[in-house]
Amino acid sequence: MMAASPLLAPCICFQVHQPYRLTSYDFFQIGQRSYYEDDELNRRVFSKVAEKCYLPAAQFFRKLIERSEGRFRIALSFTGLVLEQMADYRPDVLDSFCDLIATGGVEVLGETYYHSLASLYSFAEFQRQINLHGAKVREVFGVEPRVFRNTEFIYSNRIATEVESLGFRGILAEGVPWVHPHSEANYLVKAPGTKAVKILLRNSFLSDDLAFRFTDKAWKGYPLNAADYCERLAGMHGQLLNIFMDFETIGEHQWRDPGTFRFWEEFVSMYLERGGEFVSPSMAVARFEVESDYDCSQPTSWAESERDPSAWIGNAMQKEAALKIHGIEQAVMETGDPRLIHSWSKLQCSDHFHYMNSRVGSDGLAHRYLSPFETPYDAYIYFMNALADLQIRVDRINIARSFLV
Amino acid sequence: MKRMRVLMLGWEFPPAINGGLGVACHGLAKALASQVDLQVLVPQIDRDVPRDGFELRGANEVTLQDLAVTEKHYRYESFSEVEFIPVSLDPYTSEEAPLKKIVPGTKEWVEFSQTTSEDITLLGNGDLYGDDLGMKVIQFSKIAAKLALQSDFDLIHAHDWMTWLAGVEVKRVTGKPLVVHLHASQYDRAGSDARGWIYDLEKIGMTEADRVIPVSHYTGRVVVSHYGIESAKVRPIHNGAEPVSRYRSRRRFPEKVVLFLGRLTAQKGPEFFLEIAGKVIEREPAVRFVMAGKGDKLRQLIETGAFKGLGGRFHFTGFLAKEKVNELLSMTDVYCMPSVSEPFGLSALEAAQFGIPAVLSKQSGVAEVLQGALKADYWDTNLMAEHIVHLIRDGELRDKVVKQAAIDIKAATWDAAAGKVMSVYHELLS
Repeated sequence: MMAASPLLAPCICFQVHQPYRLTSYDFFQIGQRSYYEDDELNRRVFSKVAEKCYLPAAQFFRKLIERSEGRFRIALSFTGLVLEQMADYRPDVLDSFCDLIATGGVEVLGETYYHSLASLYSFAEFQRQINLHGAKVREVFGVEPRVFRNTEFIYSNRIATEVESLGFRGILAEGVPWVHPHSEANYLVKAPGTKAVKILLRNSFLSDDLAFRFTDKAWKGYPLNAADYCERLAGMHGQLLNIFMDFETIGEHQWRDPGTFRFWEEFVSMYLERGGEFVSPSMAVARFEVESDYDCSQPTSWAESERDPSAWIGNAMQKEAALKIHGIEQAVMETGDPRLIHSWSKLQCSDHFHYMNSRVGSDGLAHRYLSPFETPYDAYIYFMNALADLQIRVDRINIARSFLV
Repeated sequence: MKRMRVLMLGWEFPPAINGGLGVACHGLAKALASQVDLQVLVPQIDRDVPRDGFELRGANEVTLQDLAVTEKHYRYESFSEVEFIPVSLDPYTSEEAPLKKIVPGTKEWVEFSQTTSEDITLLGNGDLYGDDLGMKVIQFSKIAAKLALQSDFDLIHAHDWMTWLAGVEVKRVTGKPLVVHLHASQYDRAGSDARGWIYDLEKIGMTEADRVIPVSHYTGRVVVSHYGIESAKVRPIHNGAEPVSRYRSRRRFPEKVVLFLGRLTAQKGPEFFLEIAGKVIEREPAVRFVMAGKGDKLRQLIETGAFKGLGGRFHFTGFLAKEKVNELLSMTDVYCMPSVSEPFGLSALEAAQFGIPAVLSKQSGVAEVLQGALKADYWDTNLMAEHIVHLIRDGELRDKVVKQAAIDIKAATWDAAAGKVMSVYHELLS
């Protein structure tokens, strides 16, 4: 009989994000109104999520971390947009995350400030947004991100190379089966040609058990209890267990269930009692050696069954919208107008393209649930109108500037 | 000479309008009212609609007592064995509902001649079109015939196929001459292979009529060639247009605006407009295209536009209320109407009243009225695009087109149309 292998360390990472949803910006507003967001809606949604998720969950994890005496930890990746919303709409939420991070048991990850798809279109813009994000995280939390997590886990060899050149030690990615067998997700890997940046691949089974299947009554594992989940983790082989999901799943997206917090409390204490330990991405990168190359030449993501960026840029509307917004980068930058650049960048937020997703089925339902618009066509029409207005503002400034020269 | 008495049968009437039909009936009725004693019967009416000098009655307001006098003396034979008419006409879709088997009725035909309170309610029910349109058309014709037997008039004037069955019934029971007015045909809506219940009714109506008034020479040719109607009784008469108060909005952006206004259905040629837009933008990037309206082609148009990369320059507004249409006209530089088959095209006249030069499909009635407008076959998107580019670049050409349009609009009044309708009446009564 084989001796029981030691418990692997779970590496738990949460994404924290809220978009700035747009208004029904119709043709008659073009050239008349240079503000595209629905403040009232955004404030309302943020407050709802704050009450149901951010405040109770931040407080809950602080308690878990403090009680564990340094053995339980998580990583959080905040978009710049959600940090702005916290400051504007609910400073109490920001305070509560600051308290959580002050425990020392939370690593803050790097990402794009605007939760954008810039990595697919422009390295210069990608880099600019990562730097902006780093500055924001330093300003708000006083910490330096060392490991990178791209928007929606969009990842490719090229992105790994670029992220390495910006000094990151690690990058989070979706482990897709056509690049790498699922059983290998528990080992650190690296992209061909990179040296310094290690890849942490999401264990989609363990992650989605908690993120999606937890409340699914049709699932054979339902209802999931902490003991069973610990058992499943204990049966795993490799270096570590990467469990990545949206922070909003706790209390908001899927888990309307009061049992959520109880589950986490039991799971963490059971795992610790059995002698397990939790690691942060930076700890994992420092502790483990890379096992093999992960050769991913086409961009992947964590979304839908395709696990590629097609949830955002799959149909003609999405492709055009994304191409057009990124196509004016140079002209926007030439204006040198910080407000205009900020408004352009906010339009890059991937959620806008997600609302234009016209797929049906269960993935389609998720789009309908999250979208502020009735149809993907409305989302496209209003986005393109807003973009048209932005373009007019850009042209106006650049023409005026050309006379000055 | 004794004043002529006319019974007019209409379907849409303001404020219940879907397209040009209601506007045209109302405009013509107002103008005719000064010359004849006019009573207008429509399926439903709002109590507070202004009467404008003629008698206006909604079939939904009729009571069974009103019909009692003639109820026993009238036998309805058309469709007396039909229980269900599988037809619907949604103006926002291009396709006619597929024809299902017509089920012979179990009721006695004598019984079918009777009007019940449900029949009257049916006519007052919300939508003028919809799935029960066939039954509405039949009930309307029965009520019209019974009312007609109680009143005195010299001539019947019926607008579009929905009222033509009524016109034919009234002619049958009173022996009075029938004029049918054609605003839009099934040929326009569904193309040259359109056949079915609506086509048959149109053909019956025009065959039984003593005179056919199409709203243009273009439509007159359709009446003769597609419906096989004797050209000797066809009298094309153009619509008029109510004067509007025009204004210009301040420019909101440097680009010129080219407008498409209409239902997004095959008949109006919206996909040609998209193609034209692509060709214009290639040559003249500083242009925005606006597509105002709704219809079954919307999603497909949006996706095609995105595929062609026109988004950001090609804007969809959805359906607009009159006020918003006027605001849009006040910003528009060129009006484009690439209709595949447009009997008249009132909206082009309204655009002309706003001083907007037009590029029109040759397959339209309004192209006969706006003599200076630039024209092309609806499918000739190269020429359409060229016309638009010229109007944008060439100020002199633009002024010329606008000036000619102003002259043409002056002549295009409802009084002028009513005058021509009067001479058709005189032909029949002298």
